[in-house]
Amino acid sequence: MEENGRNLQPRARTEGLVVRELPDEVLIYDTERHKAFCLNRAAALVWKHCDGRATVADVARSLQKELNGAGDEAVVWYALEQLGRMGLLTERVRAGAGPARLMRRREVVRRLGAAALVLPVVLAIAVPTAQAQGSCVGSNRPPGCPCSNNNQCASNRCVGGTCQPPL
Amino acid sequence: MYGTDTKTAVKVITAVLAGAWRRTPSPPDVSPDELAGAVPLLIGSGAAPLGWHKVRNSPELKDTPPARQLQDVFRFQVLQSAISEGDIEQVFAGLRQAGVDAVLIKGWTVAQVYPEQGLRPLGDIDVCVRPAHFELAKRILSGPELGGFDVDLHEGFGESDSRPFDELYVRAGSRQLGATDVRVLSPEDHLHVLCVHMLRHGAWRPLWLCDVAAALENRPDDFDWERLLGRDRRRARWVTCALGLASQLLGARVEDTPVAREAARLPRWLVPEVLRQWETPFPLRQAPTRHRAPMSLYLRRPSGVVRDLLNRWPNPIAATIHMGGPFNEMPRLPFQFGECAARTVRFLLSLRKILRGRR
Repeated sequence: MEENGRNLQPRARTEGLVVRELPDEVLIYDTERHKAFCLNRAAALVWKHCDGRATVADVARSLQKELNGAGDEAVVWYALEQLGRMGLLTERVRAGAGPARLMRRREVVRRLGAAALVLPVVLAIAVPTAQAQGSCVGSNRPPGCPCSNNNQCASNRCVGGTCQPPL
Repeated sequence: MYGTDTKTAVKVITAVLAGAWRRTPSPPDVSPDELAGAVPLLIGSGAAPLGWHKVRNSPELKDTPPARQLQDVFRFQVLQSAISEGDIEQVFAGLRQAGVDAVLIKGWTVAQVYPEQGLRPLGDIDVCVRPAHFELAKRILSGPELGGFDVDLHEGFGESDSRPFDELYVRAGSRQLGATDVRVLSPEDHLHVLCVHMLRHGAWRPLWLCDVAAALENRPDDFDWERLLGRDRRRARWVTCALGLASQLLGARVEDTPVAREAARLPRWLVPEVLRQWETPFPLRQAPTRHRAPMSLYLRRPSGVVRDLLNRWPNPIAATIHMGGPFNEMPRLPFQFGECAARTVRFLLSLRKILRGRR
């Protein structure tokens, strides 16, 4: 990839990845790092267009074409930062390679306004093991177990539907 | 309180899994709290993706934390299935190259009757081979090329079907998997295997009942019911009981089938027993993994055996199948005692080998 931000030509990683496309998202399993990811439509489009030849501006234009005008270079940079951090590009996007700073999520949302629905999102998929679920029944559940109230958790802290570690 | 009450969680599971094998199942009538209480059971038993499939079209449930957990498992399962398919392809290509007659059962085969990849975990690779090819298959599957795959190798169709290998093999068809043809049982024979397998293992896993329902409702128009039931009347009754469980617990449609009356006539103890099993639908809570120690260890430390006997008490459904018994209103205790006696005899017969191994 080019070091200069303006001429950056990001390339999606292909080796060691298992990819499956669903109607609204793309799932990727990294067989080298043993991690699974979910890319929403916008992130998947950016990733797809990272062919090592297209610049960020080229990718932004393709994104706008496919998302009816939504998205710009800032959005692409935001996606590239996530994709690079997750190891889905051949090289990570460095902080100085793009605009003066890589934008934070809320800045990108503000820029997108109503079109924030197209915010590219790359999620790491965390899956509790079946064995662990054997202890996630009744009360006294360990951290990581699903829950609906504090009494179910050993730590007495049920936050966001998951038992949290004790304070 | 939902979640602390496993009986309630089991009721929620039946609501969540009812019809979950259909292309567009109607959302379940459960609250987010109730769903949260059932999530550990769904995930632990491998039915989380089906749970997601049921709630994904419910505006009240789809964006809740428990639904998101189910969705994550579904996503992971989609990827896992893709990887497993590659493994199956290699295993079958290798066996074919060696001239082994092999049939793939359960796992991938039953996943094909579900509407989407990822709804049904593929698990290990269950391969049934011609008895005469068993030793050769064992050698190949422990060799350098195929030794790393998770294959459960069966000699013939053994426990799941007592009929001769050739009788089923000649009716088996082929399914394309990548560049390989994989041999699979006919729909009738496979549904028979699914029913008997589930009962043989005590029906502890809700997913197995979904498999039976899915295979039943997705049968071809020329489905041969006589072939499904077979010639053995007792085994035929096992099969109709399995279909009846799928109907009564999960709403599988049997009304328009020749077995509707038989399937409606379940012994009174059967449904409560299945629901009791679903309170702990985790592999680690089943025999033999729930046993504290191998029996041979108690030869030196007999004090532990009494406590462990309770863990070893046979599941009444499994005991009935192992003893070749009927599904009727008779108490199950004689079959459970019979199963214990049979295990004791097997253990005593193996004692000489165990003691020789210690010298």
